[in-house]
Amino acid sequence: MKRIEAGVTRPAPIAITIDGAAVQVHPGETLAVAVLAVSRRFRDDRAGQARGMFCNMGTCSECTVWVARDDGAWRRLRACLIPVEPGMQVRTRPPQPAPEAMT
Amino acid sequence: MMHGETSQFDILIVGGGLVGSAAAWHLARLGLKVLLIERGHLNAGASGQNAGSLHFQIERRFLEQGEQAAADGARIVSLNRLAIADWRGLEDLLARPLDIAMHGGLMVAETEADMALLAFKVERENALGLPSQMLDGAALRERAPCLSPALAGAAWLAGEGHANPRILVDAFATGAQGRGAVIRVGTALKALTMARDGTYQAVLDGPDGETRVRVPRILLAAGHWVPRLAGLLGLNVPLYPAPLMMSVTDRAAPTLPFLIQHGGKRLSMKQTEDGNFLIGGGWPSRLARRADGSPDLDSPPLVEPANLRANLEVARRVMPAIAGQALLRTWTGMTCISADQLPIVGEVPAAPGLFVAAGGSLFTLGPTLARLLAQTIADGAAPEELAMFTPRRFAHLDAFAVLP
Amino acid sequence: MTGYDIAIVGGGPAGLAAAERTIAAGLNTCVIDEQQRPGGQILRQPPTGFSVPGWLSGAPYRTGRALLRRVEADPRLHWLGCRSVLGITPCAQADGFGLTLSGTGGGLEHIAAARVIIAGGCYDMPVALPGWTLPGVMSAGSVQTLIKAQQVLPGQRIVLFGTHPLMIVLAQQIVAAGGQVEAVCFAQPFAAMAKAALAHLPRAVRTPGPLAAAAAGMAALRRHGVPVRYASPVIACEGADAVTHVRLADGTALPCEVAAMCYGFLPQADLPRQVGATMRWSDPAGGWEAVHDDAMRASVPGLYVAGETTGVAGSDAAMAQGAIAGLAAAQDAGALTPSQAHAAMRAPRRARAAMQGFIDLLRAVANPRPWLPKAAADTLLCRCEDIAAADVDRAIADAAALGDSFGASAIKLRCRVGMGLCQGRTCEHAVIRRIAARRGCPEAVVAGFRPRFPARAVSIADLLDHAE
Repeated sequence: MKRIEAGVTRPAPIAITIDGAAVQVHPGETLAVAVLAVSRRFRDDRAGQARGMFCNMGTCSECTVWVARDDGAWRRLRACLIPVEPGMQVRTRPPQPAPEAMT
Repeated sequence: MMHGETSQFDILIVGGGLVGSAAAWHLARLGLKVLLIERGHLNAGASGQNAGSLHFQIERRFLEQGEQAAADGARIVSLNRLAIADWRGLEDLLARPLDIAMHGGLMVAETEADMALLAFKVERENALGLPSQMLDGAALRERAPCLSPALAGAAWLAGEGHANPRILVDAFATGAQGRGAVIRVGTALKALTMARDGTYQAVLDGPDGETRVRVPRILLAAGHWVPRLAGLLGLNVPLYPAPLMMSVTDRAAPTLPFLIQHGGKRLSMKQTEDGNFLIGGGWPSRLARRADGSPDLDSPPLVEPANLRANLEVARRVMPAIAGQALLRTWTGMTCISADQLPIVGEVPAAPGLFVAAGGSLFTLGPTLARLLAQTIADGAAPEELAMFTPRRFAHLDAFAVLP
Repeated sequence: MTGYDIAIVGGGPAGLAAAERTIAAGLNTCVIDEQQRPGGQILRQPPTGFSVPGWLSGAPYRTGRALLRRVEADPRLHWLGCRSVLGITPCAQADGFGLTLSGTGGGLEHIAAARVIIAGGCYDMPVALPGWTLPGVMSAGSVQTLIKAQQVLPGQRIVLFGTHPLMIVLAQQIVAAGGQVEAVCFAQPFAAMAKAALAHLPRAVRTPGPLAAAAAGMAALRRHGVPVRYASPVIACEGADAVTHVRLADGTALPCEVAAMCYGFLPQADLPRQVGATMRWSDPAGGWEAVHDDAMRASVPGLYVAGETTGVAGSDAAMAQGAIAGLAAAQDAGALTPSQAHAAMRAPRRARAAMQGFIDLLRAVANPRPWLPKAAADTLLCRCEDIAAADVDRAIADAAALGDSFGASAIKLRCRVGMGLCQGRTCEHAVIRRIAARRGCPEAVVAGFRPRFPARAVSIADLLDHAE
């Protein structure tokens, strides 16, 4: 993935965590862009094959990832619809019951 | 076009659900020439819409005091023991995998009062030969660590579990067809009359137009449509629609091998072979209405959001981790309930040769009741286990029926 | 529970045009959308805080952008972004509807509305071909909205393939964003496109704008040296862990990081189907479109539909329909007299009628039906549950052995196709095509999956913790 530079200005970057690794993203970007910045892979299918995002409009659910919310519970959410927030924790594989923050 | 009258069949079965298909399978095996018709497609009704529980612990109402309740309780237990044996043999019988999981079932209790009721139930079941047992909180946690640590305990019965309602009917129907049964889908029973010789003349409305058949016997196995079908003969079968809803979550790693029920609240929960959790337990949905306000029994019932939440809330209290799953789909289906809450299975006294089989709980008991009913139909036997379900108990409703 | 006179589902051209009219009529109006900002897919805006000079400055976007500016700036608009509509239920007691909304990032709300306008738009037709589940294979709309809104290129080398001329527009946008279009591969021969276009040209020139834009786009691609191939169907996407190239029917391999398919669009139909509105099979691409009267009233009282939900016809048509739907809803709410509403509908009706020639031309030129690639036996039709084409075909054959009345739900029950997170949006049209082929009947008579609550999968914790 490549951010378009010509004339585009973005808010200063923030950090989120994807599969335990810190990723720099800009506020307003979606989680899909954040994941895409790391890899085209978003999840694994039942045969263990890598899968990527497909529709980028909330319709196909291919970009579904696990996001830890404030209450500590993991939610499966469509990455293409979720704006990043500072400190967000994201998993592309089924998480253990408690996110990092809780352990 | 109108085809000529045919009388090549020994029995017409109306309804391509579990009971109709299983009865067709047994009757074909017993050598009868079977015609099964289904208005829509096979397994489209409650047989395919229910959540697939195999529950054999007895219900609270059979624990009441009194001779009748005690006798009914005893009969239910003996029927349930037959059903357990039938389910264990089903994959061999039909020679194909059916996703039958009988790893046991837990009826959980949240309070000491629920525990006391379960203990009484287990005592009664044991006396009747059903090997259920009580688990205290610690034993429950050891057996099912995924359940809430706040639960007081549970009644355990080995042999409970779940099966896949999506594939069972097809197995019976395909098997019946292989034994010579004729199956016509997209075919409705349009008219039904009894001739002077006691045979039945049916007008069938199918893809190729109307057909007439004359048959000596008919089995109505069409769930909540049975009263309307019996009504074609002016007969009364007291079954009432019960719209329910079930929910399914996304897949997860296997954590719950058992059927979960609740001793005091409506809940059934299980994890399927594929990993999805199915959540139900008898929460009502809402009947659709026609423009004039009357109930529309032919349209799918509507999800009742408050009941959906209540259902999920009980599920979460019993298994907190369910909150981490995504709800994929809530669907509604229509079962039916009889005037005395027991299924109605057997020959209708006012109309010899007319059999009915409907009235709820017919997934768990369906294969067994269909087998017993097929025996009755084929050779007039009257198995003791069917006695409590006889339509005879409602014979008074047909006191004014006019038949030849 | 918050109550509105009008709830509009979808903040694209149709929804915004409807909102403009209902707000002007004095009705308390909300617009619900899954995106952060209004605009829909065609006018998907960059996030607040981004500055993008010359964003969508081209002529085809001009009318839509003006509408977007007007409505977004209107303080009377209740914008409910970042929300999915899970269900629309007719109220049990009174007229009107209850809507259950989930936040795309969590949370749950219930709102009530006397009238609902569904302007849900459309989505790229997902076409199963070998290798289409490899990361890097995506819809053309996906690439386009990543560029328009998020201002990113999903990969450096991009192949576009399919049948829809939108590829020409997208290729220009990729080039303008600094990306490299390896090739634009039309499955159909140029002659077939030209022949289809000629038949409709006399009426299409009534709205010459899109035709001029297409010609300009072709010229621009030539200037940038982007190869546009005709009669070049892509038969497979290949690679190990992600797509590395696409394979053409003649054996040519085109290297790429991203392969974007563009075979046309299916109406977003979950919600009107869930409410029980009358639908019909959408020609030629497929999917279900909502049936409506000449004022965009759906078959369910109090429900209106507009835009691609009623059949894919482009954003100008969507705006005209949205305006008509908004006016009809305002009239039915008593906020406009019938003669006021009728007078105000005249202009959008005339505009919509004038576009029909171009719409027909585009449908004919882009028609994917003769050119759809073939799924192999092990190609997954259902991407959520990983159900292969062969499994679906076996289920269809088994069902057919018992008679011919079955629809998509029966096949779903047999093999789990369509049971996953996307709730069948991806595979339903393909399952219906295969059933129709087996039964030898038109696709239009094959019953689809039964749409259920929730229209989008939702966390159980959200359903419970945010309930009223």
